[in-house]
Amino acid sequence: MPLVENTKCECGHQNAVGTVLCEHCGKPLQAQELQSNEPLEMRYDGVARRSQKVNPNWIDRVWNFFSSVKIAIYLIILTFLSAMLGTVYPQENSFVNVTDFAKYYEENYGALGLIYYRLGLSHTYESWWFIGLLVMIGTSLVICSLDRVLPLYRALNKQQIRKHLQFILRQKTVYKGMISGDTEDWSKQFGDALKKKGYRVHRDGTALLAEKNRFSRWGPYINHIGLILFLLAILARSLPGFQMDEYITIADGDTVQIEGTNYFVKNEKFTIEFYKDEELPDKLKGTARAKLFETKAVLYECTLNCNDPLKEPVLEELKTHDIIVNAPLKYKDLKLFQYDFNLTPRLNAVHPVIINKETGETFGPFDLPMKDSALKHEVGPYTLELIENYMEFSIDANGDPVSLSRDPNAPAFVFHVRGPGLAENGEPYIYFPMQKDKEIFQQDRLNGKLASKLEISVNGMDNVNFSEASTYLNVRMDKALKYVWIGAFFSMLGLLMGSYWQHRRIWIRIDEGELSLGSHTNKNWYGMRSDVAWALAKAGITVDPKSLDNGGNKA
Amino acid sequence: MNLVDFSSDAFIAAFFLYCFAFGFYVIAIFGKKFSNRDPIKHQKRWGRVAFIVSSAGLAAHLTFFFTRWAGSGQIPTSNMYEFMTFLGMAIMIAFTIIYAIYRKPALGMFALPLTVIIVAYASVFPQEVQPLIPALNSIWLKVHVTTAALGEAFFAVAFAAGLMYLLRVVDFNDKSKAARRSQFWIEFTLYTIIILIGFIIAVFAFRGAGYEAQFNQEHIIIDNKGVESTKVETVDYTLPPIFMPYNSQTVSMDSFLGMQEPLLEAPSWMNGVNAGRKLNTVVWSIIAGTLLYGLLRLVFRKPLGAVIHPALDGIDPDDLDEISYRAVAIGFPIFTLGALIFAMIWAEIAWGRFWGWDPKEVWALITWLFYSAYLHFRLSRGWQGLRSSWLAVIGFVIVLFTLVGVNLIIAGLHSYAGV
Repeated sequence: MPLVENTKCECGHQNAVGTVLCEHCGKPLQAQELQSNEPLEMRYDGVARRSQKVNPNWIDRVWNFFSSVKIAIYLIILTFLSAMLGTVYPQENSFVNVTDFAKYYEENYGALGLIYYRLGLSHTYESWWFIGLLVMIGTSLVICSLDRVLPLYRALNKQQIRKHLQFILRQKTVYKGMISGDTEDWSKQFGDALKKKGYRVHRDGTALLAEKNRFSRWGPYINHIGLILFLLAILARSLPGFQMDEYITIADGDTVQIEGTNYFVKNEKFTIEFYKDEELPDKLKGTARAKLFETKAVLYECTLNCNDPLKEPVLEELKTHDIIVNAPLKYKDLKLFQYDFNLTPRLNAVHPVIINKETGETFGPFDLPMKDSALKHEVGPYTLELIENYMEFSIDANGDPVSLSRDPNAPAFVFHVRGPGLAENGEPYIYFPMQKDKEIFQQDRLNGKLASKLEISVNGMDNVNFSEASTYLNVRMDKALKYVWIGAFFSMLGLLMGSYWQHRRIWIRIDEGELSLGSHTNKNWYGMRSDVAWALAKAGITVDPKSLDNGGNKA
Repeated sequence: MNLVDFSSDAFIAAFFLYCFAFGFYVIAIFGKKFSNRDPIKHQKRWGRVAFIVSSAGLAAHLTFFFTRWAGSGQIPTSNMYEFMTFLGMAIMIAFTIIYAIYRKPALGMFALPLTVIIVAYASVFPQEVQPLIPALNSIWLKVHVTTAALGEAFFAVAFAAGLMYLLRVVDFNDKSKAARRSQFWIEFTLYTIIILIGFIIAVFAFRGAGYEAQFNQEHIIIDNKGVESTKVETVDYTLPPIFMPYNSQTVSMDSFLGMQEPLLEAPSWMNGVNAGRKLNTVVWSIIAGTLLYGLLRLVFRKPLGAVIHPALDGIDPDDLDEISYRAVAIGFPIFTLGALIFAMIWAEIAWGRFWGWDPKEVWALITWLFYSAYLHFRLSRGWQGLRSSWLAVIGFVIVLFTLVGVNLIIAGLHSYAGV
C-alpha cells in the first residue's frame, strides 16, 4: 500500500486521487508518467474516475467491477458466444405442437440434441443466465457511463488555455518550430485560420486553445442511455399485462371475440391470390407462388352484454381494414396480423325443404344454421323438434353416435318430426346436410320406413350458405413498444454523433519565439493532422501532415 | 431488348471493368519497382487510371441496379443473386468513399478482388427475376436490405485494410513462434478466400460441361395437428454428388470420372433448404480451392502471404490501421440502423414482433456485438494495429456467415433468401 499520493500540481491545482493529468494545466502527475517521453494517455482527459477511490467498500467494489471497460467487453463477448450456441439447433418456441421436447430433440437431433436440451440451450434466450448477461450488460452500461461522463464533463467544461509544455509536446500530433516576427500576431493569424475550419478559438496571450465538435464526445453516452432504455423496455415486456400474443381463427363471415378483451373481429372475406404463369420466369411457371393473402376485417368493440352467452353482445364498429402481410390492422395498442389461412370450405347454413314423398308436395324452405339452430321449426303442416345436433358426426367403438369436433365438418341433425301421415307422437329423423355424409352414413337406412314417407333436402346451391376459407390472425398488443423505439432512436442518435463527428482540440504556446503545438482527437488522426497542417500553412508554415505524427498514433 | 436484358449487359460490363481496375491497381503498386521511372509519379498516374476505371465499373453496376429495378418493377435485392450483386456494389461504394478520403491505391488492390469474387459468387445463383412473395412486398425490403448491406460493405473494406495491415507487418522471414502463428493464420485466411474462388470455378466448370444429377428426397412433415406425412421433393445437382441429399433415391446421374453412384449421404442434422446439395457444393469448393492453392504454391514456391508482402512495402501500416478502424466506425452506425433497427421495424410490421430470435436476427446481433467489442477494444492500450486487424478479419468472417452461412446450414424465417 503506497502512501497517500500528493495530488497537488505545481500549478497549484488540487486534483482528486487517481488523476493522471492535472485538470488545470495538464502536467502528468504520476512520477512514472513524468519521466517517460511516450505520448500521453488522454482518455477522459486524464481525470480521476469515480471508481478510482482509495479505500473501496463493498458497494465501491461492485461499482468498480462494472465500471471497467474490460469487464464490459467480456460481457459482450460472453453474450454473443452464448447467442451463437442458441442457433445450433432450432429453439423450442419454433415448434408449435411439440409437447415432449426431450423426446423431440433426441429423435430429431440424436444424442447431441438431447444434451442440447438438457443443458437448457433449447431455450437459450429465455434462460436465466442469458437474461442475467443482458442485465449485467445493462448495469455495466449505466455504471461505465456514469463513472466517466461526469468527470469528463467537468474536465471539458473548465479548460485551461495555457497548458504545461509536457502536456502539449506529448500529444500524438505535435509540431515544434521557431516563429519569426510578432508572436502574438502569429497566434492570432493561426487562430483565424482555424476559425474558418469551424473551430472555437480561445486565446490567452500567445497561448491558444482551438476546439471543435465537443458534442461528439457525448455521443457514446447518449447511445448508452438509448441502449439502457431499450433493455428496460424489453425487461418490462416480461411483466404481466405488458404484452399479448394470441392467435384466432375466423371463417369468412364470422365475428369472433378476442379473448380477454372487449374487442370483436369480423372476417368479411379471406382472399388468396397466386401469380399467373405469364408473370413468372420460366423456371417457376406452373408453381403456385403466392402473390397476396388478404383478410377484409372489421374491428368492433362490445358495449353491452359482452360476456353473457345468453344475450347477443352489442357491438360498435371501430375500424375496417384489409389486413395483408406487411399491413396489419392497428387500433390503439392492438394489432392484427395476417398469420395463416385454411382453404377448407365450411358449411354455415342450409335452407332445405320438406318433401312429402307420398303426395309429392314440398314445404319450405326453412332456415337451418349449423350452429345454434332454433329448437323448433314449423314448416307447412310439419313440426320439427331438434333433439341432437352433431358437428362432426361419427360412430364410436360402442356403436354410439359422437361428435369428433366443434367444427361443422360432417354435421348431422336428429329431429323429432310430427305431421300428416306420421305417428301421433312423432318420429325421429336424421338429416345430413352434406351429400357425402348422407352416403357414408347411409341416411336412408338409418331413417328406415320414414325415409319413404318424407325427405328433407336442399334445392340447389342457392340454398347453401358456406364460408370458402378461414383466416388465422395473430393478435398482438405490446405496451413497451414505444419505449423500444425511443431507446433505439437515442442509441442511433448517439452513434451518429460519436461516429461522424470527432472532437478535435489544438493547443499552442509560444515561448521566446518557439512555437509548441499539440493536438488531440478521439478518432480520425488523419483528419486531425490535415487540419493542423492546413492551418499552419495559412500561417506560413508548410509541413507534410504525416510529419506531425508523434508516434503512438493508436487510439 | 427490354430493360432487364439491358441490365444484364451492364452487369457484365461492370464485372470486366472491375477486373481491369484490379489489374491497374496492381500495376500502380507493383509497377513502382519497374526500372526507368519515378515511383511516386508512377503510382499517382496509374492510381488515377485505376480509380477512373473502378468508378466506371461502379457506374455500370449502378446502371445494372436501376435498370433491373425499372425493368422488373421491384428492387433487385430479393433473392441471393440480387442481394450478392448488391453487396458487391455496396462494397464498391464504401471503397470509393474511403478512397476519396485516404487516396491509397493499394486499398484498391484488395477491395477490387473482393468485389470481383462476390459478384462472381452472385452469378452462381439463378438470375431470373422472381416475383415477390407477400412477406417481401414492403417498402422495408428496400430500406432494410440496402442499409444493412451498405454497413456490411464498410466492414468488408475494414477487412481488406486489416488484411493488408497483416500482410504488411508480419515478417515472413521471422522464425519465432508468434510470427509463425501469424504467418499460418494469414495463409489460412488467403486459403479460405481461394476456396471461395474454387467454388466459383467448380460451379462454372460443371455448368459449362452441362453436368446433371437428380434425386428424390423424402421429407417427414408434422403438420399443426400433429399428423405425420411425407413429402417427396426433387433435388437437382449441377456438381457431381459426393454427398447426396439425406434420405433420398437417385433418379438420374451423369457419370463423372467413373463415379456412377453418390459416395456419401448428407447428415440428417443439416436443416436448411437443400442442405445436401449445399454440403456437396462446399466439399467441391474445398477440393477445387485446394487444387488452385496448390497450383499457386507450385508457381511461386513460397507462401502466398510472402508473395504479396513485398508489394506493400512503402505503405505506412499506421495508415492501414487507421483506414480499417475508420471503415468500421463509418459502417457501424449504418449497420446498426439497417440490420437491427430497420429490421426490427419491419419485423414488427410483418410478423408483429420486433425481435423473435430467428437465427438470422441472432447472427445480425452477434455481428453487431462483435463490432461493438471491437470499438471498445480500440479504447484499450495494445489493441491497435495487429490485434484489431485480426478482429477486422474475423468480423468479416462473421458477416459472411450471417449473410450466407445462416442460409446454408440453419433454417429460419430468412430461408427464402437461400438458393
